[in-house]
Amino acid sequence: MAENSPSPGPADEGAGPRAGADPAPAPPPPSVWESLTSFRGSTSRRTDIYVGIAGFAFLLILWSLVTTFGWVGPSFLASIPDVIVRLYGMFAGHNAGHSFLWDIAISIYRVGAAFLLSAVMAIPLGILMSSYRIVNGLSEPIVHFIRYLPVPALVPLTVIWLGIGETSKITLLWIGTFFQLVLLIADDARRVPREYIEIGMTVGAKPRSVLRHIILPAMLPNMVDNLRITLGWCWTYLIVAEIVAANSGIGYVIMASRRYGNVDTIFAGVLTIGIIGLATDQAIRWAHRRYFAYLR
Amino acid sequence: MASPQPFIAIERISKSFLADTSAAPIPVIDDISIAIDKGELIVFLGPSGCGKTTLMRIVGGLETASAGRVLIGGKPVTGPDRQKGMVFQSYSSFPWLNVIDNIRFGLKFRDDLDEAEKERRARHYLELVGLKGFESYYVNRISGGMRQRLAIARTLAAGPDVLLMDEPFGALDAQNRDFLQAQLDVIQRSEQKTIIFVTHDVEEAVFLADRIFIFSARPARILQEVRVTDYLPTERNLETKDSETFFKLRNQILGITRAQALRTEQIMMGATPVQ
Repeated sequence: MAENSPSPGPADEGAGPRAGADPAPAPPPPSVWESLTSFRGSTSRRTDIYVGIAGFAFLLILWSLVTTFGWVGPSFLASIPDVIVRLYGMFAGHNAGHSFLWDIAISIYRVGAAFLLSAVMAIPLGILMSSYRIVNGLSEPIVHFIRYLPVPALVPLTVIWLGIGETSKITLLWIGTFFQLVLLIADDARRVPREYIEIGMTVGAKPRSVLRHIILPAMLPNMVDNLRITLGWCWTYLIVAEIVAANSGIGYVIMASRRYGNVDTIFAGVLTIGIIGLATDQAIRWAHRRYFAYLR
Repeated sequence: MASPQPFIAIERISKSFLADTSAAPIPVIDDISIAIDKGELIVFLGPSGCGKTTLMRIVGGLETASAGRVLIGGKPVTGPDRQKGMVFQSYSSFPWLNVIDNIRFGLKFRDDLDEAEKERRARHYLELVGLKGFESYYVNRISGGMRQRLAIARTLAAGPDVLLMDEPFGALDAQNRDFLQAQLDVIQRSEQKTIIFVTHDVEEAVFLADRIFIFSARPARILQEVRVTDYLPTERNLETKDSETFFKLRNQILGITRAQALRTEQIMMGATPVQ
C-alpha cells in the first residue's frame, strides 16, 4: 500500500528545498517498453531485431498450440515437427528421386534470370523515360497497359509462343516485374533534385555526364529499394510460372503436393520461399546501409 | 560606372509563364534592362515570387526569356555552361561525395587542366572557404553553413566568369548568415568575380552589394537602383552593420520593399492589387 499511494511523509519534505540547490536530475531514460509503445517512438537496432524475433516466435508458438491440441486437423495444417522431418526428407531426395536443393536451385535460377533481365532493361529505359519526352511519350502508355494485365492470364499465350521450357517461365516472370520496375525507375530518376542536374550543367557537364555522374548516383539508393521490392514480386509470380507444365522448382513441388494432399510438403515449400525471401531482403537492406551510409 | 560595353548586359528581358489553369500567359518579368560591370556584386532584392530568381536563371542560361537577350562579354547567352556558376539554397552539393570530391566535381570537366593543376585548385578553394580538415566528411555530416561554403568552393573551382547565387544563405540561422556574408565579402575581394546575388533579406543586400536592384511585385520591374558604394566602403565587415549609414540605408530600402511584399501577397491571393 505504501508503494502505491503517494505518502505525505518526511521523505517529500526533504526533497523539496534541496531541489533548488542541486542541478535538476535528468529525467530517467524511457524504458524499452515505453519507447516501443509511444507514438513514433525510437528504438535501438538491437531492440528491433529482438522484437522481430519475438513476432516470429509468437507465430511458431501459435502454430504448435493449434497442431498439438488438434484444433485444426493434420490434413489441413501440418505440425512443426512433421514439416521439419518432411524438409529433411526432401533435402535427402526421398521425394522425386532428386534433392529438394535442385528444386530450390532451379527456382532461384528462374527468379534470378528474370529479375536480372528486367533490371537490365528497366534501368536504362526508365532513366531515358525521365530524360527525354519522346521516350516517355512513346513507352509510358504501353507500359501502363501491360502493367494492368494479370500475369496468369498470359500463361496460355506464353505456352503457345514459347512452349513449356525455361524461356516461357522466365518470360512470365519478366512480364510480371519489368513493366512495374520501369515505372518505378523512371520515377526515381525524375525525383533527382533539379538543382543537382543544374550544378552539373553549370560546371560544364554534357547530358551523358549528367546521367552518369549525377542522375545515376543520386537515384541509386531509392533504386536499390525498388529493386528489392520488385524482387519480392518476382517470387510471387514464380508460383504462377511453375504451374505451367513444370516438373521442377519450389512452385512445382507445392502444386504437386496439393494433388496428393501432402500438407506437410506444401508447408515445407512455402517456408522455404519465405526464408529465401527474408534472407535476400535482409542482405539487400544490409548492403543499402553499408553502401549508402552517407545518407545518415 | 556603366562603361559603353558592360560585362553583362541584360537587354529588355521579358518573361511570361503558361499557367495550367488559364489560357493567358502570366507575365513574370516586364522589360528589364541592367548593365553590370566586371567584378561587381549585384543584388536582386525583392519579395518572394516576384521574378528575381527567374531573371537570374535567364542570365545563367537555365531558362529562356520570352523577349530580350542577355550578353556576357558581348556574346549572347544560349544555355548553361561553365562560364556561369550557380550556388543554390538547398541541394547545393552532392550527398554521395565527400567535401573534397564535391569541390573536385567543379573541375571534373575541365579538359584544359592536367590532374595536378586540378588537385592544386581543389585544395586552394578548400582552404579559401575554410573547410580544410573536413575533406573526407560527407555533406550530411557538416553544418548548413559549411554546406554553402562547400557549394561556393565547388562553383569557384569550375572557374566561372559570373557567380549566380540564389538565396544561398536563406536557410541558415542568423549567426551563420552573418558569418557567411562577411566571408563572401572576403572571397569576393580575393577572387574578383562578378556576382549576381538574389535575396529578399534587406540587411543582407545592403551589406553585400555594390549595387542593389529593388524589384517590384510580379510582374517584376526595377523599382529603384541603389548604389551602395556611394554610402558604404567597398571593404566591409561585421562592424559595418552597426554603422548609422548602414542602418539608415537599410530602413530606407525596407520602406520600399514592405509595400511590395504586401502587393505580392495580394497578387498571390488572387485579389486585385492596390495600385
